[in-house]
Amino acid sequence: MSEYKIRKGKEIAFTISITILTFLGILPLFHIIATVFVNGLPVITKESFTFLTGTFSNGGIGPAIAGTFILIFLSSLIGLPVALLVGVYAYEYPNSIIGKATETLLQIMLEFPTILVGVFAMSIIAIPMGTYSAFAGAFALAIILMPYVAVYTQEAMRQIPFTYREASFGLGLSRIKVIFRVLVPLSKRGILTGVLIGMAKVAGETAPLLFTIGGLYESYPVSVTKPVGAVPLLIYTLVQSPSKGNHRMAWGASLILLLIFLLIFIPIRVSLKEVKL
Amino acid sequence: MFRFFTLFTGGRKMKPCFNKIFKSVRRIDTFQIITLPAVIFVFLLFVLMLFVYFYNALPAFIREGLAVYFKNIWQASEEPGKEYYGLIAAIWGTVYTSMIAILIALPISIAYSVFVIDYVPKKLKNIFIIVSDMMAGLPTIIYGIWGVFALVPFLQKYIMTPLYKNLSFIPIFSYPPVTGYSYFSAGVLLGIMVTPFASAVIREAYQMIPFTYREAAISLGLTRYETTKILLGYIKPAIFSGMILAFGRAVGETVAVSLIIGNTFNLSPSLFAPGYTISSLIANQFGNAYIYRHMLPVLYAGGLSLFIIGLIVNIVGLYLLRRWQENVRI
Repeated sequence: MSEYKIRKGKEIAFTISITILTFLGILPLFHIIATVFVNGLPVITKESFTFLTGTFSNGGIGPAIAGTFILIFLSSLIGLPVALLVGVYAYEYPNSIIGKATETLLQIMLEFPTILVGVFAMSIIAIPMGTYSAFAGAFALAIILMPYVAVYTQEAMRQIPFTYREASFGLGLSRIKVIFRVLVPLSKRGILTGVLIGMAKVAGETAPLLFTIGGLYESYPVSVTKPVGAVPLLIYTLVQSPSKGNHRMAWGASLILLLIFLLIFIPIRVSLKEVKL
Repeated sequence: MFRFFTLFTGGRKMKPCFNKIFKSVRRIDTFQIITLPAVIFVFLLFVLMLFVYFYNALPAFIREGLAVYFKNIWQASEEPGKEYYGLIAAIWGTVYTSMIAILIALPISIAYSVFVIDYVPKKLKNIFIIVSDMMAGLPTIIYGIWGVFALVPFLQKYIMTPLYKNLSFIPIFSYPPVTGYSYFSAGVLLGIMVTPFASAVIREAYQMIPFTYREAAISLGLTRYETTKILLGYIKPAIFSGMILAFGRAVGETVAVSLIIGNTFNLSPSLFAPGYTISSLIANQFGNAYIYRHMLPVLYAGGLSLFIIGLIVNIVGLYLLRRWQENVRI
């Protein structure tokens, strides 16, 4: 009897501790979102439209928002074609040496310290060009975006039943037609999800931009070979400054960044059951 | 003209000949012609990255040798002769904070995986998974700003100060937590940030356990706690590799850490002392490294060590995970 009681007691202790630990683990997210809204919303409502469009001295972060969208667009432009081709290759040759090596490389790049990518982009693009530029930042971000899209492409294509492959090859189509005309269109939803995940990741990255884009907050960007701003980088700079006014701006910018992230993240969740970031 | 062609084709008609050439070209798969360059490009890019770090770090190795990694000294000077740099403090900070992060992430991610799979009703399961996914994807700078204005003041007031007041005779609590910016704060924030990555690996593994094991355990009359204990023993290698991958993430994290670690050269075992990590060192010093003659190569050397730590940690983690997955698929 007493042994039964001990076991029962252990069971209860286990359930309680597991519940507490789980909620301890997810509590930060709710606290973060609440804090960002509580601190950021007054800033945005006070300045209202100027905050979204104005330059920094007018109390707005318009150029930074524009810069972030330019960077997302440019890095997708550079990264997506390569990512798609690499993902398709990894799907088609899962057992060859190059295929296996590609898969491993993609996994390593997923986890790779992003600051190293930033410094790399600086030393091969920003230094030879002699100036910070949107292009250098987009190049660094493209390296970060690439593995996400490639891994998702590969995973999405693996979901297609093998019979489709057999049927297409049975029609006498060449490999390239089977892949790009049949299998890629079939898995376009999964691939699109990967693209969105890559973009969500890229939109919030700060470290690769530290030494590549320079920062431009007093006027709107005009050229990809000139410095631009970005919301995450702006937040990083503002948090480090001692002024209270700057901290308020940082909270406002954080709310905008959170909203951009959610804007990309929600469609992903709608289209997919589980996301691996 | 016609005779000229027949000369090359050995008297045969011209058309079959072109067909033959066309066929032999097609044997070199068009698919590979299109995709392989992209794959090679990515590989070359990665090798180039390693080369760039090595090449730029070379002056530091020539000037100071490998001691650059083992000396605790950071002398920036206007006179190049007096400059001397060592990275051990930053390496120590990186390892120390990542270890704290792992120690926090380990129990939480295991508890979370068990809770989501065994305890949560099916309808609510998705909500928990969404929360974890969001935490994994949330921009790190948002963690950073939250860390500076919410987490650090909280930790300083309710955890660090009481511990220091009551237990300061223990060496790891001996540093007065004046600002709150410290290894401890950075480690806690990193722990929060890497938990979703660790729990994704552990959750997946826990779900993959063949149902017969669960059945067998329950049929023996074991309680839930005892069942879970046995099942967790079964996925031990996956837990281990999840921890290694989380460690890799923690090592590479930059902006959130550099905002709250205090950015001071320190080789202290004390939890509440401010410090540096390699990535925050690069983030902080790179901008003004051009003023000094010898600082830049040292930072590249730091980057190189981070590169290699990241590479080894990830390869080991992935290798263990993959080996375990292969063993499980019966």
